[in-house]
Amino acid sequence: MTRLGGGRLLELAEAALGIDGVDDVEALVVRQAGGLTRFASSHIHQSTWREDLSVRARVVVGGNRVGTATVHDLEPAAVRAAAQRAGEVARTMPPDPGYPGMPGPAAYPQAGRYDQATAAADPGTRAGLVAGVVRRLPAGVSAAGACETRELEVAVANTRGVRAEGATTAAAFSILADAGSGTGWAEATEPALADLDVAALGERAARKAVDGREPRALDPGSYPVVLEPNAVAVMVQWLGWLGFGAKAYDEGRSFLVGRLGQRVCSPLVTIVDDATAAGAIGVGFDFEGVPKRRVTLIDEGVAASLVYDFRSAVQHGVEATGHGLPAPSSEGAYPLHLALLPGATPKAELVAGLDRGLLVTRFHYTNLVNLMETTITGMTRDGTFWVEDGQVRGAVRNLRFTQSILDALSAVRAVGAETEMASEDGYGGVRAPALAIDRFSFSSATTF
Amino acid sequence: MEPEQLTELALGSALAAGAGYADVRWVREETEAVTVTDDRVDDLEAEESRGVGVRALVDGRWGFAASAALDPGSVHDLGRRAVEIARAAGRLPGAPVRLAPVEPLVASWATPVESDPFAVPLAERVGLLRAACEAQRSVPGLTHARATVDLWRRRTLFWSSEGARIDQTVTQTGGGIEAIAVGDGDLQQRSWPNSFRGQFVAGGWEAVLAADLVGNAQRVAAEAVELLAAPELPERTTTVILDGGQLALQVHESVGHPLELDRILGTEASYAGTSFVRPEDRGRLRYGSEAMTVTVDSTTPGGLGTAGFDDEGVPAQEAPLVTGGVVEGFLTSRETAAGLGVASNGTMRADGWGNLPLIRMTNVNLAPGQGTLDELVADTADGLLLSLNRSWSIDDRRVNFQFGVEAAWEITGGRLGRLYKNVTYDGRTTDLWSSLDAVCGPAAWTVWGVPNCGKGQPYQNAHVSHGVAPARFREVHVGVGG
Repeated sequence: MTRLGGGRLLELAEAALGIDGVDDVEALVVRQAGGLTRFASSHIHQSTWREDLSVRARVVVGGNRVGTATVHDLEPAAVRAAAQRAGEVARTMPPDPGYPGMPGPAAYPQAGRYDQATAAADPGTRAGLVAGVVRRLPAGVSAAGACETRELEVAVANTRGVRAEGATTAAAFSILADAGSGTGWAEATEPALADLDVAALGERAARKAVDGREPRALDPGSYPVVLEPNAVAVMVQWLGWLGFGAKAYDEGRSFLVGRLGQRVCSPLVTIVDDATAAGAIGVGFDFEGVPKRRVTLIDEGVAASLVYDFRSAVQHGVEATGHGLPAPSSEGAYPLHLALLPGATPKAELVAGLDRGLLVTRFHYTNLVNLMETTITGMTRDGTFWVEDGQVRGAVRNLRFTQSILDALSAVRAVGAETEMASEDGYGGVRAPALAIDRFSFSSATTF
Repeated sequence: MEPEQLTELALGSALAAGAGYADVRWVREETEAVTVTDDRVDDLEAEESRGVGVRALVDGRWGFAASAALDPGSVHDLGRRAVEIARAAGRLPGAPVRLAPVEPLVASWATPVESDPFAVPLAERVGLLRAACEAQRSVPGLTHARATVDLWRRRTLFWSSEGARIDQTVTQTGGGIEAIAVGDGDLQQRSWPNSFRGQFVAGGWEAVLAADLVGNAQRVAAEAVELLAAPELPERTTTVILDGGQLALQVHESVGHPLELDRILGTEASYAGTSFVRPEDRGRLRYGSEAMTVTVDSTTPGGLGTAGFDDEGVPAQEAPLVTGGVVEGFLTSRETAAGLGVASNGTMRADGWGNLPLIRMTNVNLAPGQGTLDELVADTADGLLLSLNRSWSIDDRRVNFQFGVEAAWEITGGRLGRLYKNVTYDGRTTDLWSSLDAVCGPAAWTVWGVPNCGKGQPYQNAHVSHGVAPARFREVHVGVGG
């Protein structure tokens, strides 16, 4: 099945709305399709394509009893059956005194971009890109990675008048180059396949791998660092998980509790959530059909705002910001399009400005250590270099960091001018520049 | 069309398009998840997903195509598409895939279930969770109470061009409670029976009842509140006893993943990573002490990796991984096993209809030793008892790890003492396992479910288990230095 488009997703959503004996119905219809060509040891070993279709019905009975049901079937009869089942669930549920109702009709901003060529990319196109990059690798260097193209269509309709439909595409290319004792890595995600410079990614990864040969051991400790965009994106993503949402804040499990309006990091740092930004991947409304709005979460170092779904917005007496997940959700609102805004310093100058410290390409397997302190741990990977007098002076073995994100962002000395996006789920991503940070705590080391 | 007809249609289509080998999985998956926070249903999901996935081998290259669109035209097209994808993979040279032989079986299998969890009325499930939250909230100082139940059932039809015709249904059930205490810029949590939504088993509602969520609620809540006032664990090197929940994740991250043969061969390099273990380490590498014996066993009763067959039609079995501390085997597929000249030990598993099977842990179990946890504590002069995972991280070759746990109790003179919070421990894989000097006995051995194991591109989730009994490790670094 190719793109439904043309209002057909909305027609399917509307098929759920007409069931009898209920107060309100909401239908969320999602179609995702895409192919991924995966390679390792410089040959293509796993190539896949899949298409998924789902309808999630949320039904309200008795004023505030809520039920949901999801099916992966776009036949109108199946859509109606899902709504019926959600109604049956609702009738068995206890009342929800805080049920806020459902949002009403709205105008939606332009967000994301649907590129027909990306949606139509065939396995030969993806394999051809991979083969081109692999064939240009230097002697003694092999590669692993993936080339992915995907499309997403979403529609939301409810009995209060919401009618939202949108589509977006995304293309991603990642490459890990292996030069024996050194590895290097590069990745890019953009709305369209034509926007990816895969040859440049291959060259960057190969150069890092070659430069990364024979890494030397470095004692753990606190060092100045330049973190490349993907490592920064990981930290920004963690902040999203740790409490930009109003529900987490209200429940006291957000790092922003008691800090709104206060300085939490360097004035060089501004973090926004913006699905409408150029190059963003996504649609112009959330999973409840509320328009997505740009929200400045950290404004020049000051904790400025939260994101709200419909429920938390009603509770707070504010307008929902378009960050609702499929409701009800124990997570509450969530920012899917985070960005740390770029500065004015080219990345090369960030490194040139480092007297003694580390250039970090990428983090691996990060996890939470202390929520309120925003402390995470993880490893460096695929290109960790010692810098002295502004020059890369060879590779070092990978290190484990255990570091408060807010402390790191408080020690930012300069913000890179170029940004890159990291995205895994197709619904959004994190866009970030490189950062020069005066202090970053490495707690142990590994053997390679 | 009936599922069997759709499966046959896709298989015929792949072969007609030129596949030298093909297999097809028709999968129906049902999930129901309920979360109660404090006094209200905070999250409720009931989902049913059906689809077909076709795997085709053409000129030694794999292609895979899958869809939830189950009209005959769409299903027929999947076979052609899988072959087209496999042919495109030939753009780069590489050794052709060979498959270790397996007898194509016609069989059916289902998880033994005492009480069908989907048949338990939703109101009864919600009632249990609300009672568990209410009991937690009776403890002064608690900030939030949470209780969860998760039900999962997957029916898979596996048809192969070699003649396999397998129909199996796996049913799994999980439940747990989580007490959260917040104060003075700190957040502490305590869980039961395990962290991250509780304990998960292959089986039915009887597993939730056995966990006695209500009966444990006040104790768990009181421990969360006590943690708020507890001191931080100072950095030092000491003896640690890992309880079952934490030890299960230690086995998962630092034994199971490093011994997956696809990681060892580099095919997961760009995402999950590789392994410090090499193919030639089989029979040679000392991984741990003599007290360490680990198997991969897809027949373990109650295990989330327990089934009749894997997603290549290989029968469930037990295979050695580490015996007396020495590496004896790997987790294998038909493709990777062929390279070693052995048969697959049946660990190829796919996340639903929409994903290619990968080598995944089934149940990776640490063999029991002897004695009880109380006896092990009594035998420990100085150390810590670490309980339930809160955080995990390990490098991309599975050498350097750091874990956080919910709570630690000091052990002095064989007795449990002071409680500590914000506890981490770290080390290197073979150093830790070499310091293992005691594993508790069969009575303390429990199969712990890990329902959130990630791997692959596109990302796949797997439900796996680890049978372990609490164990003691010497000279372990605790607390974060640097």
